[in-house]
Amino acid sequence: MAVCTVYTVQSLNSTYSISTTPAKKNNLLGFNQKQAVVFYSRKTTTATRSGRPGAAVISCSAADKTIVIGLAADSGCGKSTFMRRLTSVFGGAAEPPKGGNPDSNTLISDTTTVICLDDYHSLDRTGRKEKGVTALDPRANDFDLMYEQVKAIKDGVAVDKPIYNHVSGLLDPPELIKPPKILVIEGLHPMYDSRVRDLLDFSIYLDISNEVKFAWKIQRDMAERGHSLESIKASIEARKPDFDAYIDPQKQYADAVIEVLPTQLIPDDNEGKVLRVRLIMKEGIKFFNPVYLFDEGSTISWVPCGRKLTCSYPGIKFTYGPDTYYGNEVSVLEMDGQFDRLDELIYVESHLSNISTKFYGEITQQMLKLSDFPGSNNGTGLFQTIVGLKIRDLYEQIIATRAAAPLEATKA
Amino acid sequence: VVRPVAAAPDQLSQKVEQSIKDAQEACSGDPVSGECAAAWDEVEELSAAVSHAKDKSKDTDPLETYCKDNPETDECRTYDN
Repeated sequence: MAVCTVYTVQSLNSTYSISTTPAKKNNLLGFNQKQAVVFYSRKTTTATRSGRPGAAVISCSAADKTIVIGLAADSGCGKSTFMRRLTSVFGGAAEPPKGGNPDSNTLISDTTTVICLDDYHSLDRTGRKEKGVTALDPRANDFDLMYEQVKAIKDGVAVDKPIYNHVSGLLDPPELIKPPKILVIEGLHPMYDSRVRDLLDFSIYLDISNEVKFAWKIQRDMAERGHSLESIKASIEARKPDFDAYIDPQKQYADAVIEVLPTQLIPDDNEGKVLRVRLIMKEGIKFFNPVYLFDEGSTISWVPCGRKLTCSYPGIKFTYGPDTYYGNEVSVLEMDGQFDRLDELIYVESHLSNISTKFYGEITQQMLKLSDFPGSNNGTGLFQTIVGLKIRDLYEQIIATRAAAPLEATKA
Repeated sequence: VVRPVAAAPDQLSQKVEQSIKDAQEACSGDPVSGECAAAWDEVEELSAAVSHAKDKSKDTDPLETYCKDNPETDECRTYDN
């Protein structure tokens, strides 16, 4: 809605510049449009104001329709890191809404709004305990409301979205979400409901293997009071049946899957520090061209360490090739190992194609900018950055085609 | 206007400790029941909340925090040109 009102004011302004005669005012208009708008709108009579809704309908074209992206992952699997990498690609920091609920899960930047799907829990913490269902269970989530609100935002309408408070475990009073250029819905079930799935312009699934999940949760929770190896293990085990039944199957619908596995470079490694990360990209998606290494469609294994590049133990190994994933044709890019120094990354970047960068070295620069984030020295950071660039590319292509074919866009 | 403040990690840590005890109790009778899974799910949710709260408080640089409130002091003044 906010976008629309801005356009209304502009169109109103342009009609006024024709009707008003004094040269002084026209100068002012040329000097500073914003000031002129304020000046004129004060002078507008009620009669001209009634013309506003009509102008709004015209200027609210489909060209500024929100693009919706879905990100699915289990809790504690680095969704927030991915989100910050994604918003950084679009420029500007993502911050919680100002002055609102301090426990709000929403992040807002200039172009992007990220909403957490936990906000659509239909049962709060005590409700789930009474009924004996986990947050992973579809019965604990309100998919009707999720569909309605995501659809409304996609159509340019602001909504009052509930807030699930992770600290108290209660549903807090709603917050107003205005339609952004890009809406990211992240959580456990963005692709579970077919109606919500159909609204997504692009979808990503973060697939963390059990071994790595266990290692990460130990790192996260071990120092915490009350937690022990047993409690971490029990928590993962208890949630696993629901995870396998409701969350994991969503990966078949994802346009890109980032799989995080234990390394194969170190035998019997279970520290979870060195990772083998696979970026699985669906073929044949409009506006999305998978990244490739050296030669598109070939199967390649590449160890960049050698005369040109020195790597420390255990080194780096890339693999690329076509594959099938849940019956879909995909391209898979895999990186095993970790970077020690920057020159390794620029060397790798220069051998990747279709990465949708705007200048040479953009991936390296992005990774450097966020070098203190987890995963910056391995494939998780690299592939998250690549997916971020791919989403920017997708967004720009969709906007360009809408501008080129406004008639078609209004039909859709 | 007094802005509400997010909960401190210490209070949350206590909640985690309590929720683990509750979960172990809930699972002592029937280890595959819905109640058991829901109890451990609560542990996971609270653990995630603690780690998010810790991340938030960790990445605040003391000087940056000071400069947000006192941008005019000698330590904090920056000019673009």
